[in-house]
Amino acid sequence: MSLALVIPMLVMLTEGVSASTDLLSHLWQTVLPDYLYNTLLLGVFVVLLSVFFGVVSAAVITHTNIVAKGMLRWLLMLPLAMPAYLVAYIYTDVFDYAGPVQRLLRSWFNWQSPTDYYFFDIRTLGGASVVIALVLFPYVYLLTRTAFEQQDQNLLRVSKSLGLSTKQSFYRIALPLARPAIAVAASLVLMETLADFATVQYFAVNNLTTAIYDTWLGYSDLPTANALASILMLFIFVTVVTEQRARAGQVNQSSRPNKNHQLIKLSVSQQLIASIFCWLLAIAGFILPFVLLLFMAWEYSTVEQLQLLIPFGFNSVEIACWAASLSTVLALLFTLFKRLSIDKLRAIPMQIASLGYAVPGTVISMAMISTFAPIDHVINDVAKFFAIKGPGLILSGSIFAVVFAYVVRFCAIANGTIASGLEQIPKSTDFAPASLGAGLWRMLTNIHIPLLKPSIWVAWLLVFIEAMKELPAVLLLRPFNFETLSTQIYQLISDEMLEQGALGAILIVLFGLIPIIWLNQSKNKR
Amino acid sequence: MTELLNINALSVELQGKLILTDVSLSLLAGEILGLVGPSGCGKTTLLNTIAGFIHQTKGELIVRGMRPITSKHRIAPEHRNIGMIFQDYALFPHLTVEKNILFGIGDLKNIEQKERLTRLIQLLKLSDYELRYPHELSGGQQQRVAIARALAPQPKLLLLDEPFSNIDARLRQELMLEMRQLLKELNMTAIFVTHNKDEVFTFADQIAVMHQGRILQTGKPASVCHQPNSWQVADFLQLGSWIPVKRNAGNEYESALGIVRLCNDELSKVELSNVQRCNQKIATAFSYQLLLKPRFIEINDSQNYNVVVEHISITEQGYHYFFKSLSSSSDLAFEHLSYYSHDLFELGQSLAVNIKTHDFLFFDK
Repeated sequence: MSLALVIPMLVMLTEGVSASTDLLSHLWQTVLPDYLYNTLLLGVFVVLLSVFFGVVSAAVITHTNIVAKGMLRWLLMLPLAMPAYLVAYIYTDVFDYAGPVQRLLRSWFNWQSPTDYYFFDIRTLGGASVVIALVLFPYVYLLTRTAFEQQDQNLLRVSKSLGLSTKQSFYRIALPLARPAIAVAASLVLMETLADFATVQYFAVNNLTTAIYDTWLGYSDLPTANALASILMLFIFVTVVTEQRARAGQVNQSSRPNKNHQLIKLSVSQQLIASIFCWLLAIAGFILPFVLLLFMAWEYSTVEQLQLLIPFGFNSVEIACWAASLSTVLALLFTLFKRLSIDKLRAIPMQIASLGYAVPGTVISMAMISTFAPIDHVINDVAKFFAIKGPGLILSGSIFAVVFAYVVRFCAIANGTIASGLEQIPKSTDFAPASLGAGLWRMLTNIHIPLLKPSIWVAWLLVFIEAMKELPAVLLLRPFNFETLSTQIYQLISDEMLEQGALGAILIVLFGLIPIIWLNQSKNKR
Repeated sequence: MTELLNINALSVELQGKLILTDVSLSLLAGEILGLVGPSGCGKTTLLNTIAGFIHQTKGELIVRGMRPITSKHRIAPEHRNIGMIFQDYALFPHLTVEKNILFGIGDLKNIEQKERLTRLIQLLKLSDYELRYPHELSGGQQQRVAIARALAPQPKLLLLDEPFSNIDARLRQELMLEMRQLLKELNMTAIFVTHNKDEVFTFADQIAVMHQGRILQTGKPASVCHQPNSWQVADFLQLGSWIPVKRNAGNEYESALGIVRLCNDELSKVELSNVQRCNQKIATAFSYQLLLKPRFIEINDSQNYNVVVEHISITEQGYHYFFKSLSSSSDLAFEHLSYYSHDLFELGQSLAVNIKTHDFLFFDK
């Protein structure tokens, strides 16, 4: 069953690879170098910026006596809830030639035209990097902060007893030990960056994801789109391997977590710089865009818009429910199989099913189209042969493809959540029911599933929320006239009319906040 | 009494590794067997194989009243009617004490369920706790719930995996006696696993010593201690100190503490046959280990010093010393010879020690 989840990807890869060498050489001579260059450069910029933002803020929060630490601690996580394309749109609105900032500057200094002054252009690769990094740096912040907090406090004590100052201990012990965590976070950021579609599209930075979208929807050129998607997969594959290797190095966690170690005392000026840095991150990544959204909603929302939102919202909820329920059921099957089977290869289904998470929505969509479109044709041909009216594109042209793509992409989240819930159940609990005469079914329904209920619920919720936010897959795969909250907002952004969709955008952000709040609480509990 | 469990030449292979080799064992109804051995010797694997959680690769397992279980004819654990108490008790955390106990007897009539519950609650002194959840109970109470739950379906055989390892040392003795009494009252046949040899003497009727996936010796605890059949058994049960000896001619053995001469009486023959049994290559190897209990050595007044005091501690039996040999021959040197005395010697003091005549126990290491 887990194979069914990856077969479309394999189909796409084989088609991508077998796409004639002519095609590839043609691409290579025309646009491919540009796409590759932009993809790589964007990746490098975003990773560098995110690591800088994330590591510095994590260090400040865990190792110094910065004021309002409690509030900053969780404020710095919130940007994760912001889709990058929203931030991109809002900042363009603010910093554009016609935006309030430049207008204000012009009226202050009496400038007449753009030739009178220099102002940075946000709709560039650099601008896209900053915007994406602003919403992705919390990955680095969170993982690094956790790494700092989990470090054995005796290590820092030892380094001090050997004569190092608090600051020296940080640079020579805490930071090097956090390196694997930073590497994991950086690869997560890279994966998300490679998967980003809407931001780069909006900023007209041509990279692989936008190229796939354009070649398929613009030119209906499936082989080329497949070839591009396969190249993107190669990037992702390298990132995943890096991430796995970094994870293997995470052995420094301790049972004596670093709760009350000595903090670096900041001088007044240092305190000021650190505060400005952290608050700027929180404001730029979440508070400012969210407040602006609220303003837009306040000013432009009408009852008609609200009524319009309802069917779109309903569509979003419908496919998100399907995706969440299917992913959770599958994850439950895979994880329980891994746990209870005695087969040597029992872990394989779950591992295979978890592969999809790294794959960008655009790539998954291409995989769905190349797999299900031919099947649809066969079905219709068969129908024609029996002189029955063909069902049309029942697989590739319905929400089936969207839901399937979501399950492929998000099953890993459900797998991870349920697997970690299962780890909390001692191994002996698998044996005890049988020793009391209960068979497999009774054991699962009376013991394991009730015990897993919280994890199952969280897994469902996490997939649901991710599915509510996902954009590229639904954009490429949705049936005609099928709009969800995210496609509607994307559409409005493309038409420079986000004001009309501010309510929907707020809804998406609020949905995104749920897992962050949950994450924060579960971390506090620990 | 009749045999309740019979294990014939059982072997278990896991991930290509032989964990149990040729294990044979039998147990009478109502008997309690203590399975001991160092960590990783296969005790828990044997228990899990009997329970049915692990499949045997070879051999036969016969539980009275059930068709023989072989690698081809398996019986699922839930159909074996063998109860098990797990090291961590494995109580279901989302069920109350009462529901935990009733879990295995859901198929019975309500009245019968009630009867058994009441009796077990009473027997295990769990009244007032029926509606509590496992995490609201102390370690000892949790263990009693685990026992009650395992006994409720009235299993033919009860398996206990290190049942006392999570119990406070001061409570342990008391609980062991209580539990033994309970099992005896119910005439329950039981196998329990431990790596603590002292528990066996309090709790078991029979002992089986395991080493590297094999059962080396079974029998009554006292007779196994009196007559261990191999170096591993004697060493695990810590029956004394080891000193190396070399066979000279005939019945003479040379040691760092002098010559040991065997008389040609019945007893020494038994010991020698012991050696033969555990050492197939007796013709080539002429060196053995002599097991020396503290009471079989004495200190003499001669100046022929052969040991030096290495370690002193105080016990209720006087001072406890470890001697190290002064022998120049490295073949015969030893590090730890245990000895008790009310006389105080100094650390580093040299002494002359000799071996008293007794039933010598020689082993091949």
